[in-house]
Amino acid sequence: MSYCFNIAICLILVILQTTVIPNLSLPGRFYDLLIPFIVYLGLSRPVREGLLFVCFLGFIMDNLSGSPFGLYLTSYFWLFSGVKGITQLLQVRKRVFVITFIVASGVLAENLIFLSSFAIFSPEQQLGGDAFKIVAVQVMWALLTGAVLLIIFRKTHSWLDAGFRALYARQSD
Amino acid sequence: MFSRKMVLIVGVIVLIAVNIIVLSVSSKRYTTFGLERIAISFISPFQELVTHTMRFTGDIWRQYFYLVTVTRQNQVLRTQLNQAIGVNNQWQETELANARLRNLLGFQNTISEIVVAAEVIGKDPSAWFKTVIIDKGRADGLTRGLPVVMPQGIAGQVIEVSNHYSKVMLILDRNSAVDALVQRSRARGVIKGESTDRCRLDFVLRKNDVRVGDTVVSSGLDGVYPKGLRIGFVAEVIEHDADIFHEVIITPFVDFEKLEEVLVVLEVQKHDMASGP
Repeated sequence: MSYCFNIAICLILVILQTTVIPNLSLPGRFYDLLIPFIVYLGLSRPVREGLLFVCFLGFIMDNLSGSPFGLYLTSYFWLFSGVKGITQLLQVRKRVFVITFIVASGVLAENLIFLSSFAIFSPEQQLGGDAFKIVAVQVMWALLTGAVLLIIFRKTHSWLDAGFRALYARQSD
Repeated sequence: MFSRKMVLIVGVIVLIAVNIIVLSVSSKRYTTFGLERIAISFISPFQELVTHTMRFTGDIWRQYFYLVTVTRQNQVLRTQLNQAIGVNNQWQETELANARLRNLLGFQNTISEIVVAAEVIGKDPSAWFKTVIIDKGRADGLTRGLPVVMPQGIAGQVIEVSNHYSKVMLILDRNSAVDALVQRSRARGVIKGESTDRCRLDFVLRKNDVRVGDTVVSSGLDGVYPKGLRIGFVAEVIEHDADIFHEVIITPFVDFEKLEEVLVVLEVQKHDMASGP
């Protein structure tokens, strides 16, 4: 069930991000919607399951975007590893403030990985003057909505999990 | 022999090194592994479905509200149509005269390429790259490297093709480059994207005359885009005392925020004027 849920969420988020969000008149560019999901995988799912979907999403996004192959994969992998590392040190699963901070940090980290890759691998290309503004707006959006998305993922998953458990129990009776 | 902590640290360092090497290799140029088509084929049908649904809903919404003003607009449009017919007639005369003059001078016709119309069904998920997914692919005759144009000017280049969908890199993308000319002074340079809504015209020598408002067109020398297609206009010219080149900012004619349909040029004719009859 978890795998089906994850696949459905991945698909919905990718479609939203490439078709619906670009057509909305939002102030500035919205952040990568998959980051809250990666954070959710890091916080709430086992390593093996999380890693599988991190690789799957990284592969899909690398192919849909014009980025060099591996950039999204890199971002998601290190974000996932970072969140797993934090959960080893801190008990953060239920604290909304900390979750919000983690999602916003994830957005910032992804942008920094992208910008670092530009700086390292193509230093001859100049960065647009509004790079700072793009990152700042994305972090602001993440602060406002990141935790909400993460809570929606968690609640939907537990609701579906409970539903399926009840269904199996009824069938076995 | 080694502690667990030591193995973990070495492992992370090796992982980072491998990661950087792989990224450096893939950043040198746009690389493909053949698996990209699977991802595009997997996601694009859903993108197409959602895009069509959104446009359909949007159309109904607009039509409902526009119904009130349609009668008045109809009258205005009829008047404009009559005027346009007159103008069109003049243009046809000019076109015929132009064709005769072209034949006389032995120039090749620059607008005879075969094009395929395609619909934009998805946009790049990243703010740092500018690509779109279109609903035409190998089955429609598309291949990598084909130029993508709009009536307003150049839009980009096909960089990935699956059976029924393709990925197009827009001229705004930081990896895009188009050989270009300033139409008025014939100053040559390379249009490079910045992943913002503007481009730069690089390598224009300071001895060349470039002014704000000048139109920039494709030179055809890059072997990708047909010669003479409009790209944009000069928005800003910045002079640096220590530099031998102008710093030229270009605003594209194509509004990439409202990109819905594009034309893919299937066969680009070479425009080497020296090889003309």
